[in-house]
Amino acid sequence: MPDTSRPDQTPDRSVLLDHVSIRFGNFTAVDNANLKINSGEFFSFLGPSGCGKTTLLRCISGFSEPTEGKVLIGGKDMAGVGPNKRPTALIFQHLALFPLMSVADNIAFPLEVRGVSKKERRKRADELLEMIALPGIGDKKVSELSGGQKQRVAIARALAVEPDILLLDEPLSALDLKLRQHMRTELRAIQKQVGVTFIYITHDQGEALTMSDRVAVMSKGVIEQVGEPDRIYNRPRSAFVASFVGENNALQGVIKVQSGETAALDTPMGTFEARVGGGRKYKAGDKALLFVRPEQLVPGAGDNAFEATLTRQEFEGATNHVFAKAGDSELRVSMVNAGLAGSLPAAGETLSLGFAPMNATILPVADMASDT
Amino acid sequence: MNRNTLFGGAYAVAFFSFLFGPLVIMVITAFNSSKFPRVVPWECFTTGWFGELFGNQRLMDGLLNSVIIGAGVVALAVPIGLAGALALSELPSKLRATLYTVLILPILIPGVVLGISTIVLWGQISRGFGAGGLYNGYFLTIVGQITFISAYAMLVFIARLQRFDATQTEAALDLGATPGQAFRKILLPFMAPAIGSAAFITLLASFENYNTTVFTVLSESTFTTALASKVRHGTDPSLSALAVIIITITLVGALTNEAYQRRKEAEMGGRASRSPLYANPVTRALTHPGVVFAILVGIIAVVSFAGSRHDSSMCEAAVLQEKLDRQEELRAAQKARIEAEQKQQSTLPKSNSAFGGAFGGLGGATPAPESAEPAAPKPESPSAFGGAFGGITAPKLEE
Amino acid sequence: MKQLKLAYDTMLAKHGMGAALFVAIAVTLWVVVFITLPQLSMLDYSFRFNLPADQIGTEADHYTLDQYRSFFFNNDGSVNTLDLMILLRTIVAAVIVTLIDVLICYPIAYILAHGAKGVAARLMVIGLIIPYWINEILRAFAFRVLFGATGVVNTVGMQIGLWDVPVDFIRADVALYFGLSYAYILLMIFPMYNAIEALDHTQVEAARDMGAPLWRVHWRVVLPIAKPGIVSGATMVFMLTAGALAAPQILGGPSSLWFTQVIYQWFNESSNWPRGSAYAVVLLFTCISFVLLTMRVFKVSVGEIGK
Ligand SMILES: Nc1ncnc2c1ncn2[C@@H]1O[C@H](COP(=O)(O)OP(=O)(O)O)[C@@H](O)[C@H]1O
Ligand SMILES: [Mg+2]
Repeated sequence: MPDTSRPDQTPDRSVLLDHVSIRFGNFTAVDNANLKINSGEFFSFLGPSGCGKTTLLRCISGFSEPTEGKVLIGGKDMAGVGPNKRPTALIFQHLALFPLMSVADNIAFPLEVRGVSKKERRKRADELLEMIALPGIGDKKVSELSGGQKQRVAIARALAVEPDILLLDEPLSALDLKLRQHMRTELRAIQKQVGVTFIYITHDQGEALTMSDRVAVMSKGVIEQVGEPDRIYNRPRSAFVASFVGENNALQGVIKVQSGETAALDTPMGTFEARVGGGRKYKAGDKALLFVRPEQLVPGAGDNAFEATLTRQEFEGATNHVFAKAGDSELRVSMVNAGLAGSLPAAGETLSLGFAPMNATILPVADMASDT
Repeated sequence: MNRNTLFGGAYAVAFFSFLFGPLVIMVITAFNSSKFPRVVPWECFTTGWFGELFGNQRLMDGLLNSVIIGAGVVALAVPIGLAGALALSELPSKLRATLYTVLILPILIPGVVLGISTIVLWGQISRGFGAGGLYNGYFLTIVGQITFISAYAMLVFIARLQRFDATQTEAALDLGATPGQAFRKILLPFMAPAIGSAAFITLLASFENYNTTVFTVLSESTFTTALASKVRHGTDPSLSALAVIIITITLVGALTNEAYQRRKEAEMGGRASRSPLYANPVTRALTHPGVVFAILVGIIAVVSFAGSRHDSSMCEAAVLQEKLDRQEELRAAQKARIEAEQKQQSTLPKSNSAFGGAFGGLGGATPAPESAEPAAPKPESPSAFGGAFGGITAPKLEE
Repeated sequence: MKQLKLAYDTMLAKHGMGAALFVAIAVTLWVVVFITLPQLSMLDYSFRFNLPADQIGTEADHYTLDQYRSFFFNNDGSVNTLDLMILLRTIVAAVIVTLIDVLICYPIAYILAHGAKGVAARLMVIGLIIPYWINEILRAFAFRVLFGATGVVNTVGMQIGLWDVPVDFIRADVALYFGLSYAYILLMIFPMYNAIEALDHTQVEAARDMGAPLWRVHWRVVLPIAKPGIVSGATMVFMLTAGALAAPQILGGPSSLWFTQVIYQWFNESSNWPRGSAYAVVLLFTCISFVLLTMRVFKVSVGEIGK
């Protein structure tokens, strides 16, 4: 693929998953994934570990074939095309750099196996090292690099293939927090620079939301929702997405009446009005969940007002995490630190809270992400 | 806890004495001029047994055969062992267990059985197909040995393969390598150190093997079979000299390897820059495995040269003279005693045999070393008792 | 068969045509030509008469139980106690040697796994391996030097007055037992060590902490972990000892034959290959049954061996 005579107009770097299912025996690891990843997009799959992300990625890169459905890359069906023949490059979870080769040899490996001359290889490796801002480390051993350097070398090596699609399997998970945050920006910058489609896998919602153009949230092999990060956050379409992405308060209740986009829900704390998630239709008496985020619960009366007793709070600089009991549920409320000008409520105090109907979502009862 | 550590240490010392004691004794005997390998009585310091060893044509011929056979075995057993390890790594677990059992079995089957089954099979084949050329000691020994030596190689490869990260191969494929390229450029280089040790172990195993080889080698002989027949038919300290050579080679290898391991560890752990040994260019060079090896070889060369110039013939002649004198003395004493006994006998008509009596007396009185000296200058001994004594006692104690 | 095909295909996809073919051919060759066929051929031979070359393939050349019959019975129909006793003695002696090795190796394996550290541990490993690099024949020879009539043991023993006539250790098979126990020590220690090393040392400390005496800690905590290693090592030592030829030839007393020596005699001295084959089959069968039985008793699988 170091096809230097590539026509100037950008090639089709899209990936189409056409009703892809992957099964191991009776176990369905990926269930009917059906979506299109656009050319040049930074696309993330977000989900808890074991939900089938890696399995799906390996299927895209050609290490396994889908049990059902098709994978199309650049509009071409990839059935029977091996990993070495696909225009993809994969960054492995543990990078899989070759320990017996120098950094430059690692980066030039894709060129080596294509029979590119030694001199040419070295030149290209140096260019790529320049690009990842690590010039001059070509002769080092892999074992001499730091975690972040290894990370970047792995990216350079993958880019040496000149892939249309770069697949990244939780590449930052082994790094420490600081470096992880730095690498997010870096990855995004590299992606913009090379214009390659990035398909990024992570269980860390922060990573997915900050870097991606679009995110697909997965649970137990099922793709629950695909969309821009803000839509995923603000308009969850399932209880799982609502609870897995960001913090959320869930209130159980029974539908009283639905009128178009909104519905009224009877809960032990009172009747609340909220937006209906996913354009669903409910009958009166249907059980449902109401999700409202901690930062959407605002003090003072207004819409959907209720009272709660403050039980404890956690101070965290900019925000103050307040836990308040209403009925038999404990709610999380985020309050902006107003500094010395404002005042913080104390434990035992009664708070008047409320939320805008548009800022809460009614969703059908289903499994929620367990870590909320 | 302290008492336990002490006990553990003491046990370890005892254990390693058991392990090394026989070897140390053997090494010492290599330098004693006594014709039977022993430490006491010490006769003369000599290096003559080394010459004797190299002069043994049968052993040297066997050595050449062993090298030929060893090369063949390494060339075949290493790839076969590698194939076995690779096959095991790809098989589903149930089949893997079965294949593992089959492949490991030759290690457990008595070598004698392997040797017999090999010659029987190839004997039948060469009779059946008229392929008589296959029925020769070299071919049969190689075939017989690789049956089980391949399993040794396989064990080495299995251990190495277990540490292989399969995503390395996947990464190579993903980066555009063909499976064959990934195999050659990623897996094989990873296996390289194991290929080295497997080659070494198979060579050693081939060289050492007796039980299988003694059957398959037919009328030829390898170093080990020649050695065995020499040991079975009377020993002399040239075998100890051989042990000295092997132990020396082993120690040089072990020390060089140790230097190599330490250097590698230091480099890996980043200690290289901190250690004073590595800071000083002289000590740094001196601790390089290559240099260590060269120094050791140099020392050995000097010692061997000095040893080869050592002449113990004066001392040996003196010892021989001393022995002859002692014998003369003894003989005189015996004669006197026997004469006295005969005198007595004539007075006691019904008595035991004179020989029995004399022999019994001798056994107790004679210093033990003499009794185990079949090669001592007996022939000149005019005494019938001397001859009988050598003939009866020596083989019984020796063999 | 289907699974084999599947494995071959995985190999093909993963390592390429060259590697897959190489593995398939090499393993087939090994299993069929080097392992299976010779054993079958030997088995076949053991059911034949010992015929001169020109009669092979003629009418006289048919299957017979003669060779086995003569292992169990003498010509006159009485039981062949001589050979049976030799086999029995070989097995019993091999068991004794194996037990000795288990006993003397266990502490070392434990010390190596949990006591010795750094340089001491590495020295111990080197110390264990070095004697093993020295030719088997020479190792046996060393014991002959040691236990000979004028050997160090006799000299020292007489010097300090333990006995005053040279003791014939060779005739008494003492040298043989020592030599055999020595020969396969390494094969006993390493499987044991591998098994014991897997034990978390804090378990031992915890048990000690609860006041268990040392022997009980070993019996209840270490031994269960070490068991597969012990059985694996014991199997190897037993098989190699029972199948030993060099050591009995060099160290054995004139009156006590090892069963392998009997086989050797049928082959090399009497040139009676069918008889030798039959005896080899008997040895193989006896040893393997014995090992399988022991493994059954200790509930360990063959797959543990060599680990
Ligand atoms: N080769 C396989 N055989 C059987 N089950 C598998 C295999 N690979 C993955 N799985 C199962 O599929 C599920 C998804 O795994 P994976 O894709 O690795 O999850 P993750 O989202 O953490 O990357 C897991 O339950 C895993 O056990
Ligand atoms: Mg994963």
